[in-house]
Amino acid sequence: MTPFVADVLIPVGKIVAVILYPMIMVVVMIWLERRVVALMQLRLGPNRVGFQGLAQPVADAVKLFFKEDIRPRQADRLLFNIAPVLVMFTSLLAFAFMPLGEPVRIGAYTLTLWIAESPVGLLIVLGLSSISVFGVIFGGWAANSKYPLMGALRSVVQVLSYEIPLGLTVLTVAFAARSMDLVEIVRRQESSGVWYGFLMPVSFVVFWISAVAETNRAPFDLPEAESELVAGYHTEYSGMKFAYFYMAEYAHMVLVSSLVVNLFFGGWLAPFPSVPALDFLEVVPGFVWYLVKIMFFLYLYVWIRATFPRYRFDSLIRLVWKWLIPLALLNFLVVALVRYLR
Amino acid sequence: MRRLTRFLRSFFLVDMLSGLLVTLRLYFSRKVTVAYPEEVDEPAERFRGILRLHKDEAGEPLCIACKACQRACGTDCFDIEGRKEEGAKFMRPVKFDWKLDRCSFCGFCVEVCPTNAIRFSREFRLTGVRKDGLLFHRDEMYLTGDDLQEHLCGGCRRAA
Repeated sequence: MTPFVADVLIPVGKIVAVILYPMIMVVVMIWLERRVVALMQLRLGPNRVGFQGLAQPVADAVKLFFKEDIRPRQADRLLFNIAPVLVMFTSLLAFAFMPLGEPVRIGAYTLTLWIAESPVGLLIVLGLSSISVFGVIFGGWAANSKYPLMGALRSVVQVLSYEIPLGLTVLTVAFAARSMDLVEIVRRQESSGVWYGFLMPVSFVVFWISAVAETNRAPFDLPEAESELVAGYHTEYSGMKFAYFYMAEYAHMVLVSSLVVNLFFGGWLAPFPSVPALDFLEVVPGFVWYLVKIMFFLYLYVWIRATFPRYRFDSLIRLVWKWLIPLALLNFLVVALVRYLR
Repeated sequence: MRRLTRFLRSFFLVDMLSGLLVTLRLYFSRKVTVAYPEEVDEPAERFRGILRLHKDEAGEPLCIACKACQRACGTDCFDIEGRKEEGAKFMRPVKFDWKLDRCSFCGFCVEVCPTNAIRFSREFRLTGVRKDGLLFHRDEMYLTGDDLQEHLCGGCRRAA
């Protein structure tokens, strides 16, 4: 393989793929959400545009593209424009550290299905998802309007609170794998033969609840509670900037699902590695397993949204400070102890 | 003891999981949406759809051009002229113009008709893209179904 292909074409191709992949998942996710919620509410949902309505999000995006871009006169121009970009950028950047599948061998060259492998990949992903909160704050503050500000304030309180159990549960995984490298974590699950989600179910459940809250999704969608705050922090946005916030929210969900799959459910690994009768599952490429797994968690997102009513704000905060954080701490201590003794 | 079971129930997310099962069951159950142009819900028996003239079993028109409907009509929908042919038993309309855009579906004409010739149908799809689709001449008052749709909007509607 020529150096040009290896050093230029493949990295560029990977970057394009890592930008396109969340975008495609966003389209699928918006469609999935609308259809699944509709079906659970005994409706049909959008089923006219394209096959079973799959092109509906595309049609909506085209519509948003042609809408007037309105900026409130009193808005802080710089922050108002930066906020949607920041939210989108951090979501997409975190995908650079997501292993999407096992390395593919092409002759002598090994094609890795991730852009960057870092010994602190986990920290970077968590840090980036924290930075995306700034996009929400900027958007809510810069609009100079009451509902966005309220939404942004709620979002800050909620995300900061839920980041604590999130971090504590992620630490247990790092302890078990003795690594903060996302690729290494998946490899360790392969060599130890058990996925961390089954090894540490408490970690997984706490992580998942916190992650749903972190992405501002129902039943923790107070920052954008339609019935109280119009649309929360992006009330004053229109057109493509609104679409940015909208897509970033879904991209964030895809990111969190990828994170859950990589940390707790063995990333690209095929299920049941210890059952010899099911060895044929290994034939399916790792990327497909990864996709199947994250689709399950994306579906779970929608399923949860269709099922549970929104939390009141005080019970939301009580849940995290009185239940999740003590539980996560306890879980952390137990895992640390077990890890120390072995 | 009751507090303990309550604690355990919430700790192991029992109610949450059973809630998820409820939505999963509904996910597979029958939907209430009627996918309109493909599926059509029949309107009620007494539904007041577009007015239609009727014929008797032998195919003879029931209308005797008595103009009772024209007099009863509050919005002046009708323009009727009748003539009695040589040797015929009844008077027949030679002109029976009816304007859908004026009709308020009040039903006075239906009530007043002595031969029960004019009646409400259950056809509710009355939109069109041409104005002349709103004017019905004598023979067009007998159209139903696809022929009626053809008159109203000239094939602008998707086939059911």
